[in-house]
Order: sequence, then C-alpha cells, then structure tokens
Amino acid sequence: MSPAARLWDWPTRLVHWGLVALIVIAWLSAGKNMEVHRIAGYVVIGLIVFRLWWGVAGGSTARFSSFVKGPKTTGAYLAGLGSREPGQTPGHNPLGAWSVVAMIILILVQAGLGLFATDIDGIESGPLSDRVDFDTGRLFSHWHELAFRALQGLIGLHLAAIAFYALWKRENLIGPMITGRRQFTGLVPSFSPAPAWRLMLGVVLAAAAAYAVAKGFRIRL
Amino acid sequence: MSALKSKAVLGIVLGLALGTVGSAQAAFDAAKVEKARIDKFHEMGKAFKTIVDGLKADTPDTKSMSAQAHVMVGLSHKVTSWFPKGSGPEAGIKTRAKGEIWTDWATFAAAAKGLETESAKLEAVTRAGNLDAIKLQVKATGNACGTCHTKFRGPELDKHEG
Repeated sequence: MSPAARLWDWPTRLVHWGLVALIVIAWLSAGKNMEVHRIAGYVVIGLIVFRLWWGVAGGSTARFSSFVKGPKTTGAYLAGLGSREPGQTPGHNPLGAWSVVAMIILILVQAGLGLFATDIDGIESGPLSDRVDFDTGRLFSHWHELAFRALQGLIGLHLAAIAFYALWKRENLIGPMITGRRQFTGLVPSFSPAPAWRLMLGVVLAAAAAYAVAKGFRIRL
Repeated sequence: MSALKSKAVLGIVLGLALGTVGSAQAAFDAAKVEKARIDKFHEMGKAFKTIVDGLKADTPDTKSMSAQAHVMVGLSHKVTSWFPKGSGPEAGIKTRAKGEIWTDWATFAAAAKGLETESAKLEAVTRAGNLDAIKLQVKATGNACGTCHTKFRGPELDKHEG
C-alpha cells in the first residue's frame, strides 16, 4: 500500500466542519437565542459562498468539474454500489457528488428563507423581514422549518452513507475529511492545490457576502 | 299568556336548566374565544413587527412606528379580557394558553400590566423620535411580551399559525 496521499485541501475540510458546527449551533439556538441563530446563519452563507467559489477555483478534488458526473456515470456507480470493494474514486464518488450539490442548494435555501422569516410575536426576524408583511414573514418561517426537516433528512442520508461505506465497504471516509489524506491501494491520484491568491479572494468574497446579508444589503460605504 | 310568550318562557327555563347542567362549563364558546384572542395577538404581532422592521430602514419612519405603538397600547389594555375563566385547555379546545393563567391569575395580570406600561413607554419614545431610545424600548417591550409567553404559553400546536 502506498503512503497516504493528499485528497482534500484544508479550506475544503474547514468549510465542511464549519458547516457541521454552525448547523448544530443554528439548530440549538433556534427560538432560544435568535442573535446567535442569526449570526450562525450569516456565517453559513459565507461558508457556502466560499465553497461555491472553491468549487470552480479550489484544489482539484474540491472542483465541481472534477466530481459532478452525468446520469450514465452516476447510474454505473450506483449499479456497483453493492460490491464490497472499497471505491477508488479520488474524492467524491458520482453519487456522493449529487449529495454535495443537494446539500449546498438546500443549505442555501434554508439560510435564504430565514432572512425573511418572522417569529409569531413579531419580535425576532431575519434581516430582510421588512421586505415582506407579517403573514408572509410567518410563511417564510414555516418554510424555513420545513426546509430544515429536509436538511435533517439529507444529513441523515449522508451519515447513513458514511456508515455504509465503513461497515460494508470497510472504507473510512471520516479520516480523510479530518486529515486531508487517504491511502490508495492502486494508482495514487494526483492532487493539485490552488494558489494562495485564490484562497484570499474566496475569503474576501465570503466575508463580503456574509456582511451584506447581515446588513440586509443596506450598505453605506 | 300568549303562545309566543309561553314559548319564550319555556326557552328561558330550558336555557337555565341547560345552563345549570353545564355549570362547570362556561356560558360561551371557548373555541370562539380562542380564535378571537389569536386574532388579537396576531394584530399585536403585526404592529410590533412593523416597528421592529421600521428600525431596519435607512431612515426609520418614527411617525408610523408611533401609530403602531398606539395600536399596541390599545390592545395591551385588553389582554386579560381575552382570557375569560373556562377558556383554557379544560374547555377541551386546542390552545396554547396554559391552565396556570387562571391558577396564577395575579402573576398573569401583573405581566399583562407590564405590557401596558412598556408599550405606553414605546409609544412615548417613538413620538419623541430618538432612535437609540426606541431600540432600547423595543427590547423592553419584547421582554414584556416574553414574561407571559415563557410562563403562560404552551408549545406550538401546529407549525403554521398566526
């Protein structure tokens, strides 16, 4: 077996675990500490904006073009899913890729709905709640909750998939998401990191997006 | 005695009899009372949201805020009247109103009084027009709402109401 090769760059891992932490924080603070809840939402939006940027400008395995595949490839992968051989895809496999896409979209929808939401008392609200009336704000609140149920379902599926790979395929997916490295039995795939300036630009983009959203896009320079 | 009159008398007698039978129950439709107070609190929430949202604007319109605060003051004086005895969960209706409202009426009434005081102050500061003072008073008013809501309001019944 060859030594552990680089698989995930650290910004990709940081975004992943950052989302884990913030979604838990947002969940626990919902309806209890709305200031914390709102801030968690803004940071989540920043992280997703960064991930979208990183999906076109990041390290090779973080790029959408490297892992999002068409129905044929996805179908073929699905057909071989029952095999007990560990997968040899460097990074997201075709099926997991769609889960990543769904996760990004759903998290963005979830956070976006919260921006317009209002609580039942008209006390707590998202930064864009003044764009809608009370009843519409309540409706957004309702959708915000429904979207969270969907997100919980997707996260459950994600965890089930990890368990399936660990138990059925004897493949550890969590380790590489922490260390960034993974062992390959066959050919070691090449990994090309992204230059630092792209990281910097991504951080600036993400911070600007989170700030703009927090201010309800009312920015006076 | 005319037929009409005797019918009326019969009606009264029957009504009284039924009233006595159902004396444990209040002589009103609890479901209607529940619906009415939800509507009233909805008005309150709407008014408060307008004030909170008003603060988000680039140039907050304190005049419209004070109009809304005035609505809140008017409603605040009626809060206890929306909770006649017998309109709680014991009436067999779906309600977030907890039984503690009536077992601890003094605390409930004091909390309602607190809303009267704070919303009156809110109206005053919106009239004065100082945004920092309004922000502070919005918080205090929200807390006044909260004194009742944390103690006397049960968990949400279904996901979309009000």
